[in-house]
Amino acid sequence: MTGSHAALDRLAGALFRVVLAAAVLFLVIPVVVSVFLSFDDRAFIGPFPPKSFSLRWYASFFENPAYLDGLFNSLKVATLSTLISTAAGAAAAYALAEGRFPGRDALETAFLSPKFVPTVVVGFSMLGFASAIGVFDAFTRLIMGHVIITIPFTVRATLAALVGIRRSMVEAAISLGAPPWRAFLDVTLPLARTGVVAGALMAFVLSFDEVAVSLFLSDAFTQTLPIALVAEMRANLNLTVAALSTMFAAATILIVLLLDRAVGLDRVVGQGMYRG
Amino acid sequence: MTRPLAKPRISLFHAALLAPGVLIVLVLFVAPIALMALESFRPFVTGKVGSGSGWTLRNYAELMEPAYAFYFWETFRIGFIVSATALLLGAPLAFLAARTRRHRLRVAIFGLLIGLLFMSLIARLYAIQMTWGSNGPLAFFGTLIGVPARSAPYAAIQVALGLLHFVLPMVALMLVGTFQNINPRLEEAAASLGAPRWRVALTVTLPLAVPGLLSATMIALAMCISSFVVPLILGRGIVLFATNLMYVRFSDVANYPSGAAIGIIMLGLAALIVYAMMRLTRALAGAGAPS
Repeated sequence: MTGSHAALDRLAGALFRVVLAAAVLFLVIPVVVSVFLSFDDRAFIGPFPPKSFSLRWYASFFENPAYLDGLFNSLKVATLSTLISTAAGAAAAYALAEGRFPGRDALETAFLSPKFVPTVVVGFSMLGFASAIGVFDAFTRLIMGHVIITIPFTVRATLAALVGIRRSMVEAAISLGAPPWRAFLDVTLPLARTGVVAGALMAFVLSFDEVAVSLFLSDAFTQTLPIALVAEMRANLNLTVAALSTMFAAATILIVLLLDRAVGLDRVVGQGMYRG
Repeated sequence: MTRPLAKPRISLFHAALLAPGVLIVLVLFVAPIALMALESFRPFVTGKVGSGSGWTLRNYAELMEPAYAFYFWETFRIGFIVSATALLLGAPLAFLAARTRRHRLRVAIFGLLIGLLFMSLIARLYAIQMTWGSNGPLAFFGTLIGVPARSAPYAAIQVALGLLHFVLPMVALMLVGTFQNINPRLEEAAASLGAPRWRVALTVTLPLAVPGLLSATMIALAMCISSFVVPLILGRGIVLFATNLMYVRFSDVANYPSGAAIGIIMLGLAALIVYAMMRLTRALAGAGAPS
């Protein structure tokens, strides 16, 4: 009896490890393949692995004005919309965390709800709305769209950080004579900084990578980098995108290392930043 | 002392803090969607940009036709398969991260998952295409299961692989929370009473994880069916999701009212999934899962 249990235990353990390995390999292999291919010296997409390596695809990225324009536009849109949605979102989150007023929960739901709406719907409806109110400038439209898709993330990240701040500290400041805005600036804001920064980071990454909303709201003269990339990938597949992907991967590793240094990955997950 | 049962009112300070955000949500979210809802009842006039006057239900009726209903069916079919697979692949990873005593391993798993969440989705999809596509090192997989990488049905497989790569890190991270909230003492108690490990996993851990597993599946499904980029890039024009159909209706035939009707249906489906999830987790939490 014990023998069969031990055998079953070994079998279950083996199954666990196989699925575990499959998951990790499934996630990692494509990234590794694309990093390898980005250094491929061939002028076409040939079978894997490449025979010789060069930086030709990196050079071709920086020589392509469509990509550079797109990169510049994406940085502009992401920066501006992150600033707006972080300022408005963090302020709202503060009021939501502290306030006890009727309709508070409904308001919180309202702030988080754009997250549950497919981004295509956001882009589509925003395009109709923008033309109805006479906004035809693509850059303005892009900002409008990107602010609304990022605001749930800035609200939620700040809210999560504020929950951890004990009210007693704020109340102490107020009872010592500080006006509420002073307590906000001197006590709450420094403590909530982690949440605000995490929210801003998520907002920036989300905006920088957004396709659906931008596809509706950009025009031929104002394209973001993802739009230029998607057009390129659908027209002719070449390895310039792989070079860019590798740069993205490097940037991501940097972000994760910074996040680990600043907050600790353990705390990022433990805090429930990604949980509902 | 204030009156004990004074009705709580919002202070001016809080109202001022909320104002910009509320304004943004009203103007950039509620108004556009309300306008889209109105547009979805407008008749489509061929050749005219925008919509005609008068009201009609035709845009919705049209979508019930089998040719269009098929897109919704395809969207859900692939979405379900991917969500279930993500659960299967994500659970061991999450369990390991939640239970391991090795801090380095835990941080490494978190780093991988969070890194993928932050990494550009376009870059990831491109990588999938390079790896699983007809020239890729894993293309033999298609031949192995009888769907060669160059054939049309393989597009659906590629879309599924792309979606899986998209949702798996998110699902695994959510499951870490689920497993962390299950008291390891319960497993230890069962083990100390002589239950073998496979039995503990099956009869103690799994039942306690059901609410978390369900809500992770729901979120994965919501992410799948509202995905736009994945079918756009990996679907090769063969696999279209409802989201892509919406874009095509607008960009190729300039049928704004029909796109609006699809948008309203997508909105309804998204709301339905969120609602079902809330009901389910509440019902299961009410059943009394020890923490």
